[in-house]
Amino acid sequence: MLSSGEFGTSIVVADLEAGIGTLSRLGDSQVDLTLVVVEPTPRSLDVGRRAIDLARENKQGRVIVVVNKVVDVETDLALVREKLGDAELVVVPDDDAVLDADRAGTALLDHAPDCPAARALVELVDLVFDSAA
Amino acid sequence: MKIAVVGKGGAGKTTTSAVLARSLARQGREVVALDCDTNPNLGISLGVGDLETERLVSLREQLDDGDVEHAADWDEILDRFGTDGPDGVRLGVITRIENPDPG
Amino acid sequence: MKVAFVGKGGSGKSTIAGTFARVLARRGEAVLALDSDPLPGLPYALGLPVDDRPIPDDAVVAGPEGGPRWVLSPGLDPATIIERYAVLGPDDVRYLQFGNTSGHISTIQRAQFAWSETVKGVDTDRWNLVGDLPGGTRQAMLGWGSYADCAILVAEPTSKSLHSARRLLRLSDADWGPTTVLIVANKVRHADDAERISSRLERPVTIVVPMSAEIMAGDRLGVAPLDVDPDGSFVESVRALVDHVAGLYHHVEEAP
Repeated sequence: MLSSGEFGTSIVVADLEAGIGTLSRLGDSQVDLTLVVVEPTPRSLDVGRRAIDLARENKQGRVIVVVNKVVDVETDLALVREKLGDAELVVVPDDDAVLDADRAGTALLDHAPDCPAARALVELVDLVFDSAA
Repeated sequence: MKIAVVGKGGAGKTTTSAVLARSLARQGREVVALDCDTNPNLGISLGVGDLETERLVSLREQLDDGDVEHAADWDEILDRFGTDGPDGVRLGVITRIENPDPG
Repeated sequence: MKVAFVGKGGSGKSTIAGTFARVLARRGEAVLALDSDPLPGLPYALGLPVDDRPIPDDAVVAGPEGGPRWVLSPGLDPATIIERYAVLGPDDVRYLQFGNTSGHISTIQRAQFAWSETVKGVDTDRWNLVGDLPGGTRQAMLGWGSYADCAILVAEPTSKSLHSARRLLRLSDADWGPTTVLIVANKVRHADDAERISSRLERPVTIVVPMSAEIMAGDRLGVAPLDVDPDGSFVESVRALVDHVAGLYHHVEEAP
């Protein structure tokens, strides 16, 4: 359905079902970029591993892993590397501002636009679009 | 350009989608944010608020229950089951995106 | 008792469910932990070093002509399936997995059929059932938690979690729904968090579980709460939840 839609020049950001259900049912080559969001916990990385494999298998474009809630870069990324190998990574620091925004039910960009987590996610846009251009 | 965002629940998938969508829109691009989760709450992270998010979900549930005739194309889906969010992001709640013909 | 944990992904269902199962087992009860998440997380919370342990293919054979698609293999019934295929974990909890999405699709369907048959036919006089449903509403909507007469809804004090919780509460009103729904407030950081959850869900909060740095650290190491911080506030709260639920069942048994 994603590919059949006429979105014209719009950029489509599809927030898929938690887990890998939607991803496993999408047809081949439906998207140009797959962002796999993980936390540095074994459980979250198990899901991330499956998502990466599926996205590659079904040719869902470039795959970037967003490592969220990073407390200690060295320890956390070591675990991520152990589970996910050489995937392309972007690091988002652990940030209470995200919890506070969620608690308040507001957007992170409205609640704390300059917090470390928001800045890291905004940089992700530059990474994706600079290298795509 | 189409971007899929996946991950375990609670990992930060929806926050990532929302910041990404709004940052792109702030650069002057037209952005459509699609909430494909069976438990849709992208609206909250985009900043359209609790009530509006719940309104969109119940619209979507009526469609899944067959109470509303299916929309013809994306524009219509976004008009009927979507809303305009901050920075001009258009949000649509599309619970069953993998199924081209729900119901 | 027959309980199932539900809630948004990441709310802490599995972590609480696994701890609940072990606390109950330490009291001498026979506990069967039921994991219907196709991306299983319960093993981490139980402290069980397994990932992929579905019931094997040959537990199921094709059904008779004109009958159901599958039946359990001759000689297998729920009791023998539990005996043979439920993994024995810490504190003697038995863990039965629904099947992991890494497998082949027909294998998974067979494993899931065997799982469902086992859950339908399990001897509930012998076993306490502690189930963990996947995040979101899909399984809950399809009645996967219907083995439970008590649903435990785990909610965080965030708008997204409460939004999901409200949807789940609406689903729990279905015909097959549980007779009791309890609310657990998890990852509580502020004094008014529990009150906020309670007013948003229009139900009392049964147990408040504070945010715990120790449990989060254990999560990163893949270590179960009971093994990382056995006397901390998290485990204490789960003990209180077990007490509460046990009290409900005790009350029912004593009723005329």
